[in-house]
Amino acid sequence: MTKSTELSTKDIEHLAVLANLQLNEKEIEKFKEQLSKTLNYVENLHELNTSNVSVTNHTTNQKNVFFEDGKICERMFSQEEALANAKETKNKLFVAKRVKGL
Amino acid sequence: MLIEKNEVTSKEVHDFFLERSKKYNPSLNAFVTLIEKESDIQSLPLAIKDNFCTNGIRTTASSKLLDTFVPPYNATVVQKLKNSKISIIGKNNLDAWAHGSSTETSDYGPSKNPWDITKSPGGSSGGSAAAVSAYLAPAAIGSETAGSIRQPASWTGVVGLKPTYGRVSRYGVVAMGSSFDCPGPITLTVEDAAYLLKIIAGKDEYDATSADMPVPDYQSDIKEKKKFTIGITDEYFEGVDDEVKQKTMDALKVFEKMGHTVKKIELISPKYAISVYTILQRAEVSSNLARYTGIRFGNDRSYFGDEAKKRIMLGTYTLSHGYFDAYYKTAQKVRTLIIEDFKKVFQEVDVIISPTTPITALKLGEFEKYPFFGEVMDVLNEPAAVAGIPGISIPIGLDKSNMPIGLQIMGNYFDESSVLNLANQFEKETNFFDVIKKGVEIYG
Repeated sequence: MTKSTELSTKDIEHLAVLANLQLNEKEIEKFKEQLSKTLNYVENLHELNTSNVSVTNHTTNQKNVFFEDGKICERMFSQEEALANAKETKNKLFVAKRVKGL
Repeated sequence: MLIEKNEVTSKEVHDFFLERSKKYNPSLNAFVTLIEKESDIQSLPLAIKDNFCTNGIRTTASSKLLDTFVPPYNATVVQKLKNSKISIIGKNNLDAWAHGSSTETSDYGPSKNPWDITKSPGGSSGGSAAAVSAYLAPAAIGSETAGSIRQPASWTGVVGLKPTYGRVSRYGVVAMGSSFDCPGPITLTVEDAAYLLKIIAGKDEYDATSADMPVPDYQSDIKEKKKFTIGITDEYFEGVDDEVKQKTMDALKVFEKMGHTVKKIELISPKYAISVYTILQRAEVSSNLARYTGIRFGNDRSYFGDEAKKRIMLGTYTLSHGYFDAYYKTAQKVRTLIIEDFKKVFQEVDVIISPTTPITALKLGEFEKYPFFGEVMDVLNEPAAVAGIPGISIPIGLDKSNMPIGLQIMGNYFDESSVLNLANQFEKETNFFDVIKKGVEIYG
């Protein structure tokens, strides 16, 4: 990928693969322009001095929250509930495309 | 208004609002789904944004991708409401996936602003705000990632509260920006907002990001006779329309007359919050929307609209190898700066006041002119969203074109009590200059 904030067609095509989105030519052109504009705007963050600043992952500083696996069993789906919204099921399983290359 | 003595039956109340909703929804498009037959009618009917999972009731997030999705469970917020004898009257329209500030990205058509149906009610909780403003429901539950409760509340002249991040469980809410999303009430009175917040707030075992903090008795807290120190800063008046500025200054005079102190403070310019929000939210969106493959539920990814695709793409970029440090990590660091900035200011003041939005409601279709589909419109809301602090929008008047103007009160982490208290004092003193009353009267 190029290092400037002018995205190329190849950049957009690569992102589309990563994001599992099918884009047509018109969309690729449009996103190329829109994303480049957005990236140029957010460059303003580099105006601020963040050299001695740590990252924030959670704004109210929760740390790791755990519970014992299997401790809370109040909300469990039956197999029917879990499958109810699927377009295609077979033998009480979800049907998905074969993973490429296997 | 909300807590009525039982001079009418629950069914009568429910039917009253259902009839109004059926009558006015064709013109306002506030609801994606109206629930005709509620199996057990409880004491209060509420509207809820269609990104909250409702067991057995279609939930679309206003996207055709989820057009046929029927959740097999209730969001925690929905469950808590039901446990408090509240029924759901309908699912409100929103910007698809909550991506937007106008409801114009909805796959079910935009909602209309009840004050002028050629104008947007704001968004993404635009349907919820429109429903409350036109009194199709006595209150609604919306959600805010950055402005999505406060901005539509401001544009439709009602009360909208974004609680502190983590105050209310996100379990069962269609995830948008997981470190930003806050469910919250949209109401006609501050007391109603306090009442609903008490019900929906609290730690949830199913949302590890929910706060392990006790839930105050907001309804009694708002009645305490308190005087506050209010901070205002020039940074939050830049680019603000003159009428909005004037009404805000008028409101500040009211607060001073009531004995509160107004103090000048300094805050980082809100424009940096736009960049932080743009990067982090889109990164989180790209991750959160990865689950919509059409395998287990819903339709496939070709059903995503333009705005969703755009955000997924940008999010993917900023998280990808080579760009993570420059964008995502930098944004997280600036987020820390914004948080520290607010914490510092809250040592000098109790609350911060500013206009909610720089302008009043735009005409439908005008959004096309703005580069980030509303981020610039939400500039005054983004800092609080980025920091995670609470904020409420209340109506403070109307502009020359008879559209509502909103003022926001932002508070310290988990200090919804102060925010609600001050808002309540203003309501008792001015009745919001009859804005809400006039809004409800438009729809007889």
